[in-house]
Amino acid sequence: SSHEHKLNFKKSKEVCLSYIQDAMLQKQWQRAADFLTSYVESLEKDYSREHIGPSEMIWRIGSEILWHHSHSSMKEFNYFIEQMKTLGVKRYLKVCLEHVFHLLCNGQIDEAYQNLSLAESWRFGEQTAIQDKEMKLIQAYRGLLDYYSWSKQKNILLEHGKCVDGFADLSVEQEMHSSFRKAAVNLKEIIKIPGVWDLFVKCYVDLLEFYGDHNEARQVLNEYAYNSKFPANPNAHVYLYQFLKRQGESKKSLISALKILHDIVPSHELMIDFNTMLQKSKKRRKRRLGLEVIFAALDYAGWKENVKAWSCLAKQVKQIVISEKHLDWIKQEWNSRKDWWPAFHFSRYLAKRNWQENKSLSYEKALVAGILLGKDCKYFKYVSHQGCKAQVKRFRMLKKFVNRHSPVYLRISG
Amino acid sequence: MEFPAALFPSYFGTGPPLEEGGPAPAAGWGEHGQVLEGGPGRRQAQPAFVPRRSGTGERWEPADAAAVPVLPPSAGCWIPSPAPQDMLYRSGLCRKLRAGKSGVTLDFTRQLGHFFVDHPEDAFGSLGRLLHKNFYLGNSKLKRPARNSTIRMTALVEDIDRLEARRGCPRQHLASRLRWFSHLCRDWLFEMPLGLLADYLHEELMLQWSNLLFDDSLTGGALAWLPPGDGGTHLGCLVHPGGQAMNHLYFQDMVLEKLPRARGSPARFELSGRVQQVAAARVDGEDFVGVRSDYHCGVWRVPGRTGAAPTPLQVIRTDVPASCLTVSPHLPGELSICTQSGTVYLWNVERGLQQLRHDPQTMFFRDHSPWRWSDFTAHPRVLSCADRTGLQCLDARAPKRCHFDLFKVGEEAGCQQGERVVLPMYLGRAHPSQYLVTTQFSVYVLDERLPLVPVLKWAHMMKSPPLFAHLMPGDPGRSHKVLLGASHTQELLLIQFLGCVSSGGSQLACQLAGTPQKLHSIAGCLQHLPTQLPHRHHLLQQRLGAPVAGLAAALQEDRPDESMLVFQLSEAGDVFCQRLTHEAAQPPAPTSTDEGTTAPGSPAAALRYRRWLRALSRGCKEHPRHTWTPSLSQRRLFTRRELEGPAGPSAMQRQMRQRLRQAMQEGGRIQHWEPSALQPPPLPKTLEPAGGSDPLSARLTAAWTGDWEQWWEERTSFSVAQRQRALRERRRRQKRARGRRSLSASFTSSLTYQSELSELSDAGPALLSPGRPPILSQEGSPPAGSPPARSPPTSSAPDEALLSSQSLRCRGIPKERRKTLRDYLSVWAEGPPEPPEPPGSQASQLCIPSSQSQLSSASQPRRKRPRMGF
Repeated sequence: SSHEHKLNFKKSKEVCLSYIQDAMLQKQWQRAADFLTSYVESLEKDYSREHIGPSEMIWRIGSEILWHHSHSSMKEFNYFIEQMKTLGVKRYLKVCLEHVFHLLCNGQIDEAYQNLSLAESWRFGEQTAIQDKEMKLIQAYRGLLDYYSWSKQKNILLEHGKCVDGFADLSVEQEMHSSFRKAAVNLKEIIKIPGVWDLFVKCYVDLLEFYGDHNEARQVLNEYAYNSKFPANPNAHVYLYQFLKRQGESKKSLISALKILHDIVPSHELMIDFNTMLQKSKKRRKRRLGLEVIFAALDYAGWKENVKAWSCLAKQVKQIVISEKHLDWIKQEWNSRKDWWPAFHFSRYLAKRNWQENKSLSYEKALVAGILLGKDCKYFKYVSHQGCKAQVKRFRMLKKFVNRHSPVYLRISG
Repeated sequence: MEFPAALFPSYFGTGPPLEEGGPAPAAGWGEHGQVLEGGPGRRQAQPAFVPRRSGTGERWEPADAAAVPVLPPSAGCWIPSPAPQDMLYRSGLCRKLRAGKSGVTLDFTRQLGHFFVDHPEDAFGSLGRLLHKNFYLGNSKLKRPARNSTIRMTALVEDIDRLEARRGCPRQHLASRLRWFSHLCRDWLFEMPLGLLADYLHEELMLQWSNLLFDDSLTGGALAWLPPGDGGTHLGCLVHPGGQAMNHLYFQDMVLEKLPRARGSPARFELSGRVQQVAAARVDGEDFVGVRSDYHCGVWRVPGRTGAAPTPLQVIRTDVPASCLTVSPHLPGELSICTQSGTVYLWNVERGLQQLRHDPQTMFFRDHSPWRWSDFTAHPRVLSCADRTGLQCLDARAPKRCHFDLFKVGEEAGCQQGERVVLPMYLGRAHPSQYLVTTQFSVYVLDERLPLVPVLKWAHMMKSPPLFAHLMPGDPGRSHKVLLGASHTQELLLIQFLGCVSSGGSQLACQLAGTPQKLHSIAGCLQHLPTQLPHRHHLLQQRLGAPVAGLAAALQEDRPDESMLVFQLSEAGDVFCQRLTHEAAQPPAPTSTDEGTTAPGSPAAALRYRRWLRALSRGCKEHPRHTWTPSLSQRRLFTRRELEGPAGPSAMQRQMRQRLRQAMQEGGRIQHWEPSALQPPPLPKTLEPAGGSDPLSARLTAAWTGDWEQWWEERTSFSVAQRQRALRERRRRQKRARGRRSLSASFTSSLTYQSELSELSDAGPALLSPGRPPILSQEGSPPAGSPPARSPPTSSAPDEALLSSQSLRCRGIPKERRKTLRDYLSVWAEGPPEPPEPPGSQASQLCIPSSQSQLSSASQPRRKRPRMGF
């Protein structure tokens, strides 16, 4: 009966697919390819209503096999993809996009550009939401490639600028401007939509800055960083900060940009810059914030062995101890950490290991430990003992310093 | 760790997932995802692009054709957990009828029938005894006087058989006799009210069925590998559960060679529950091992130096089953626990428990699963906590105020409809701020500095959700390896990703490297074993096909031949291992070798198989499956001499035989009828009213001697007392049955370990010999101040085979009721009702500090555990 036939066909399709899957997961590409040629028959009677139909599966599996199969070539791959484009209408844009990615990764920029232009002109009925997104991405990537050709022409022009050759320059310049226009239009479109568009934003801002449109650039970066519809992307804040720095903005606006970055990612690597900037400040509130920033950064496991950060902290703590002003700052920071920092940073095991692996790290940490935990702390004791044994002068100084300021410990911990 | 200078482009949406869901067989193939400019050659004329899913990863080739057992099979036979066919209607007719409807039909009546047949005493005990005179089981017709008070059961049994044959028939007519009988005795025949019993059975059946569909109690896996210490030796330690009920914890030292080999005998601890999860982390050169069973969590410390014995540190007990236990990679002796009531605790061995959150509801949208998970993050005071709908990070210093969403099942991460979180894992050893989240469809890598947007997403295409994951961090510039494992299908997948690659001063975003690779499953070694007899083959198939219960791996970095050892634990307690070797910097091999299967099993592997099989068959012979009937050899009761008869016939026998023979020859009689007048027969002895005499003769004797009245007095008062005792016993039993919902009060076994705390805390590993009762010591207990004499461990545990969870499970006793039953039976076995509470209840205070009241949420109604909603 036809029902049974349908069932059997479905079953054998599934079995075939599982064979393919099995072969691919064991990197047996030839075997997978052999099975795939049989699986192509499944297209003939496609009754499935699953959300990934056989045509998409053949595209996915086929591409994967062709990427890895040792006998495949780019030409074959392109041919296969062209076939696939005609096979699944609904997934046309997706297939195009993936094709472009493959071309880009293989350095075939011009072919990729052609494909993008072709895909952009594709129309088929009403566009679904997904197709709309894919189309926008295709345009954005085309914009990106336009940007690269703009930047190439710009470099040619800048090099030629040195020697005087007016005629050739003019055509290059025209071409460059047209590239600029094409790139700007497409890039501007995509970065309006909420998403992670680091690459596109960077390129667009570069374009704007080159043509002196700083206001637009600032607006774009502000929007990218502060629009709540966008994800909390640390890079958005970094780009804004870098832009402000390039623009020679005041310390105040730089600090406020970094303050927001500190609030969302206290463990960002720019926190060192932030801390140095704040430490230099004359305002007490800012120096205090600097201490908070460096303490917060050192809370994170990724900063455990960061010598720079430890030396920042050691420097500031030392300053405070010597001046004997604002010991309460340290006390407040220490209060929320004193129950776990000793085990996290200042264990005997770490003292040993830091001493073996990085002497200057152990020096900075020992200074902080000696002040925060007193001279009887395991970390300080071990490192200063080893340092004195090795007759390193700065460790002897360190021991002296901590011994001299031992009452500080009582005031902090008390 | 620097944040990547640019991330791969992606859209960001909010709200519930838009994409229609469903398992997609090939969804993970053929996609680059997105591309990003970067990589080497940036300053060249042309920009270079890198894809999110790159084609090249490290090549790891399996060294053997199949997984190889590393440890001898656990002693005793494994009883497989129930299969679908045990629970579903078998009738074909029924299946056809139900085909149109969604869902399944659980065979409720069969299970109830099993209960009545297997436990008749519990089901009908008292009334059965009372009524057995009134039930007639013969075939002949009953005579008139008897018919008034006796029912012929044979006819009823015939009716029942007929009914059985017609099962599933839509128009079945109940035999009137059956209907009449069931009407008559439905209310009073059963020892336990039938409605109540049926409720419980139904609940248990649903629970077993949902466990069969998706058992999340195993999440995380019960196998841990403690890598060699800093010394660079080849000696690691495998921590795994074993024993018939998986309630023994073993710390087995392993020598890493081509095939790892056990060294010495393992340190063994007997626990009071089935080990569900073993988690481990190394802090300051010491390993901390957390062990989770349903109602207990414990932590052990394994010192870094080789050969040092593991020390138990602390145990806590929960009223609601715990669903997660993770060990902090930052601070020694710190763990996090989640319970199914939606509570998250930070557990510090020194400072005790701190409740971070209590919320029975799920976080982002409503989901009925009580499963919760929690793990550590880059900040030692910030914990992640997860349910099926997503992950949030909480600051332990202010858990109510400071939290942020890390992952949401929704459009933010581009999820599919019906997608649910299965296992989150902190990837701290690879990258301090990265996280792995697996769902039944995809794996995600998240960076806590950019919450909600996955930095990597890949559809893993596994048939059942990955419950286990193991991370092997790669050195800078090399890929991190993640193993994903599923339980029932035994799938095992190796994927590689490049965390943040620094290239030319800037960091590149996270990339998936190469194609995923399928590793050997345990069941795959069946075809490499020597040929077996069919029934043995079937048993072996069942054993090797047991669901996986844990996953661990070790990376051996001896250049040039770097290798990876992957351990798998099955629910039967077997530990299998496979080795993969790294083909470093080899050009892509030509297709011919590409396609070739791996070399057949090495001789060493074959030897392992043979040894394992031998040990397995030896172990199984001792306890033949299922048909375990108590049998006693009389050789143990009597000495050989006693059994042997006298050497030859005695003199009298000889004489008698001779007479017999003579009489036969003569054709005469042996004995003459006329009594010999010479010897009058001796007078019969007077009957003594011995204690053993039957009541009738006792009564007659009493009547004869004249004090019949007094006898009657005694008799009645005695029987009243006896009856009262029996009634009281029954009442108590019923009370227990009613009080089964709050079981925590009857935790006798937890008391036993507490009573042993100080005894064993300072004892060395020599005490950890097999056969020792539960040992869970606590370091914190004062060694000197504790009272020296504590009550000894419960002396005669009731029959172990009878009470092990395995055997209880196979008898269909629900998990939460096994404990009651065990207590109940132990009362019978021991005589005195309950062991008195040991004086040192101080131990429990140590175990569960001030926040004990937070843990006890017995007053809350226990939530049912429905199946996972996908």
